[in-house]
Amino acid sequence: MTDMAIETSALAKTYGSKQALEALSLEVPRGEIFGLLGHNGAGKTTTVNILTTLLPASSGTARIAGHDVTTGADRVRRSIGYLPENVHFYDNLTLTENLTFFARLSGVPDPAARIAAALEAVDFTGHGQEKMSTFSKGMRQRAGIAQAILHEPAVLFLDEPTSGLDPQGVAKLREIIISLNQSLGMTVFMNTHLLAEVTKTCTSIGILSSGRLIYQNSVAATLGAFPDQASLEDIYLHIEAGTPS
Amino acid sequence: MTSLITLCGKELRDLSCNRSVRLLIAFLAVVVVLSVLVAAADFRTKTADYTSYLAALKASGGAVNAPPPDLFPLQMLRAGMEYLEIVGSLFAVILGYGLIAKEKNNGTLELLFTRPLGRHSFAAGKILAALVIWTAVTAALFAVITATLLIAGNAPLTGTDFIRLIIAAAHTTIYLTLWSLAALALAALTRSPATGLVLALVLWLVVVLVIPQIGDTMDPDNQIPGGLFASLQIDKAHEHAVMANFTGYETSRDLIEQTSLTKQYERPLFAWLGIKDQYNQQSPAFVWAGTFNHTLWLLAGFAAAAAAALLAGTRDKLLRKA
Repeated sequence: MTDMAIETSALAKTYGSKQALEALSLEVPRGEIFGLLGHNGAGKTTTVNILTTLLPASSGTARIAGHDVTTGADRVRRSIGYLPENVHFYDNLTLTENLTFFARLSGVPDPAARIAAALEAVDFTGHGQEKMSTFSKGMRQRAGIAQAILHEPAVLFLDEPTSGLDPQGVAKLREIIISLNQSLGMTVFMNTHLLAEVTKTCTSIGILSSGRLIYQNSVAATLGAFPDQASLEDIYLHIEAGTPS
Repeated sequence: MTSLITLCGKELRDLSCNRSVRLLIAFLAVVVVLSVLVAAADFRTKTADYTSYLAALKASGGAVNAPPPDLFPLQMLRAGMEYLEIVGSLFAVILGYGLIAKEKNNGTLELLFTRPLGRHSFAAGKILAALVIWTAVTAALFAVITATLLIAGNAPLTGTDFIRLIIAAAHTTIYLTLWSLAALALAALTRSPATGLVLALVLWLVVVLVIPQIGDTMDPDNQIPGGLFASLQIDKAHEHAVMANFTGYETSRDLIEQTSLTKQYERPLFAWLGIKDQYNQQSPAFVWAGTFNHTLWLLAGFAAAAAAALLAGTRDKLLRKA
């Protein structure tokens, strides 16, 4: 078994004449909380979509938990959990009904027990019988994480997980992500714009600019390498500014 | 297989809880049953007239040798079957479109397709759900129709009549499911499900209304209300002799009609129910021999729609952005 949770090699994606992702080579070791940063249109969501098998790559390879996203897509899907930026459930169903449906699709042998465990992990016990249509954005994000961890995946992909949340919601989600990583050993891969959150949550970061990975290192090493910059936000802007688009 | 059953089960639950679907099906049932009730009332009137005529004849001391009127209970279903053919297929289009549109519009496809589903499981679940729901709806409708015939029409149904009704219900299930699958395939193939719905409605318009109407307009007997040959007092034998001179024209008209799957449904349906005179009171073997080619075309259409839905409902096709 490889020590890498995520490995990509020369991964590329083009939409017509537009190069969305260019020769992305990335390695994320198991147990990391990896934050992928970049401006709008940098290729973050394209990267997540390829890694979660929602989008085929134009060229290059990607492996998740040792499985190739093209040739072993089903094994990849068994190994990942995914929270889209705007998570949508079946609003006519309750949270438990939604989770039961997704648990069955994932082949979870004892859905009721796993749902209880997942809801506890996101501190959401007691909301199972509520209709999804009554949920706020923050509640949906937590429900979304619960559905993503139902089958105890090795890697959790979160696309802008804190987008649109109030400060309390952001703090709660951060707490949940760190807990999932530390207590369940899940590798977390997240796209985000909120650099302050990255400092508090992630163990390593990568910066995408116009489809190219221009930087990758641990958060601690990054902060140490730029002592003259006040925050990760300043470091990010400094690195971005040094890259011709 | 588990994911297929899970997807199908959820669809059935959604459909049975959906107020719009329940309303459409209830409307269809009411229209069909009303049409049978009207026909049943007419049937009872004719039967009563005949009975009172016989009684009057007996009372007057005349010879009671008046032949009973040609009253065939299954022929009462003509209007109801036409509602199923036209209105039912329209509802089937809407239902099929909804199966895909709700996933695309709600944004639930991303969560579904990061699950380890087989390549065709998603579409297969929807197809199975459409088949199950139309089987259930058709079975219920035909049960109500039969009860209406027996109770309101006071119709003496025989064992063969029940078999004919079951065969008619089977044809109806295939026909309505076919329309749902065609709409499902188009909604899946087009980037915007609304575009798929428009295309499905255009297809429905052409197949259900335009082509059969062209065929009807070309029928010489339809040129005068009440029938051209009847108005000229030409009997069936002579009508066939006259039409024998126009075989090329009739073949062309027939071919045009046969391009419509609605006609491929209607012909065996009307034959089995005896609505088409040439098959009325004929043996099942005779009806089958005369209509099996239409049934096979209907099945071929169903298979094509199912294949299209299966191929269109894959991950890569459905995840294209609208």
